[in-house]
Amino acid sequence: MAGAWLAVRHAPGALAVSGVPSVFNGSANAVAVVVLLLEFGMFRQALLRDQIRLYAAQSAAVSVLAVIVAAARHVPELYILAALSAALKVVIVPLVLRRLLRGAGEEIAGSGALSLATTVLLAIAVGAFGFFAVGTLGIAGVTLPQTALGLAMAVVLVSFVLMIVRRDVVSQAIGFFSLENGVSLAALVIAAHMPLILEVAFLFDLLVAVVVFGVLIRVHHGRAESLSTSELTRLRG
Amino acid sequence: MMLPIPAIQALQVLTVAAAAPGVSGVIAKVEARLQGRRGPRVLQPYFDLAKLCRKEALAPVGASWFFLAAPLVAVTCYLTVPLLIPVLTGYPLPLGYMGDILGGGFILSLASFVVAVAALETGSPYAQMGSSRAKTFAAITEPVVLFVVFTVALITGTDLPYALAATVRSSAGQIVRPAHLLATAALFMVILYETGRIPVETHTGTNEFGMIEEARPFEHSGPYYALLKWGSAMKQLILFTILANVFLVPWGLAGTARPADVGLAIVALLGKAIGIGLAIAVIDNSFAKLRLFKITEFVAAAFLLSVLGVFTLYLGGG
Repeated sequence: MAGAWLAVRHAPGALAVSGVPSVFNGSANAVAVVVLLLEFGMFRQALLRDQIRLYAAQSAAVSVLAVIVAAARHVPELYILAALSAALKVVIVPLVLRRLLRGAGEEIAGSGALSLATTVLLAIAVGAFGFFAVGTLGIAGVTLPQTALGLAMAVVLVSFVLMIVRRDVVSQAIGFFSLENGVSLAALVIAAHMPLILEVAFLFDLLVAVVVFGVLIRVHHGRAESLSTSELTRLRG
Repeated sequence: MMLPIPAIQALQVLTVAAAAPGVSGVIAKVEARLQGRRGPRVLQPYFDLAKLCRKEALAPVGASWFFLAAPLVAVTCYLTVPLLIPVLTGYPLPLGYMGDILGGGFILSLASFVVAVAALETGSPYAQMGSSRAKTFAAITEPVVLFVVFTVALITGTDLPYALAATVRSSAGQIVRPAHLLATAALFMVILYETGRIPVETHTGTNEFGMIEEARPFEHSGPYYALLKWGSAMKQLILFTILANVFLVPWGLAGTARPADVGLAIVALLGKAIGIGLAIAVIDNSFAKLRLFKITEFVAAAFLLSVLGVFTLYLGGG
């Protein structure tokens, strides 16, 4: 009797209908998902300090992904890139931003134009668009799976939503910097073998952006006595 | 010697029914210890049930027969679900094919629906408020459950819980794939909501304003109240079992019908349920309750996780 029922038991392999990704692909995708989730986490943060912390965590996740790719695909330059981007994006940029905030003396981000749940649903829709747009292109890199590219695109688009919805200069700056995180994620997927000098040049681009946003935050705070952009409604010739 | 298969099937139900109050007792004890209190005995829920069964049962004036029938229907539902999910065995039992994950979900919703209707019968404001809130938030957690089921269906090609457990056991690649991790996290958040734990609702105490699920049995008394309490303990253990034996750690299930294997599976199940309970007790003590209107944000986060799970699968890499 028991044997007859036991014979019904499935062979485990036969059940896996969609292809199982390898452990490397699976964990690389999982880290890419973490990057996207941290991007969504930024919607939730009301304190500017916490938002900067999330940005640092997101940059750390991108660096971890670079290390995973370097180890699994034997691209030693990526170790250097990971170290450089970690030093710049996890340590220096957050430090600079925190110093700017201390000067401004404001802690709480202006509330968004939409409620949180609505924003998240909107961002899911926008991210889904990026996801499937990339999916139809059929680009497959040698180092990372296609899903990671879709996720990178979603990070870029969701950070646009963050910049649009938030009404203070610091959140917008962080949205811009995390957009750069999405772009470097995409670069890791498509062009991990890109010459190191180009990658470093991109990092310097980010440094320029930090300086520009720093000046913007300073000037805006000097003129408007606040970090909020909700006052900026009139065009001036 | 082998146990007859129908006996194992019955044992699944019996294990859940008998162990459920004990698991609640352990969680309450751990929670109290974490707060520096001595806490109630682990067996306290059993004593509570025994005490309530000796008390008189009353019904509010004007309540129909449904008020007294609802606890019985709810407990019957909770006793049915363990037939459908892998509680003790890794191999599917004959009645396991009666319904899939969605079927189990429907039966759980039916139980919560009849309790809500019975609460509406009473005419008491708190019970009515509880049932209206419970249904409002159930409507927004349901899509999350659906997307978790979609994830399971895309991974295994079926929506049988046994199939997913077997797939997760089959390789390490199945465990680290983001779709699986995301679906598991989303399901965990749904379980926090369904069992009335802290980011959503205070589990103990009498803070009526924040009550959702806990407010519904206010008007029940005696054995009927005991059935409702026992039912909610069973619901908790059923959800823990689904999380552990289907998603998180589908190991330690009996592979044969030998009594020793099945006994070991019972011990493993209790261990896993208590493990999840410990995690929940820690969450209970480290977060504040969300304001009622912030619960949508909590659910939106769970929805995000489950939707991302389906998306990553859809592109074939998740």
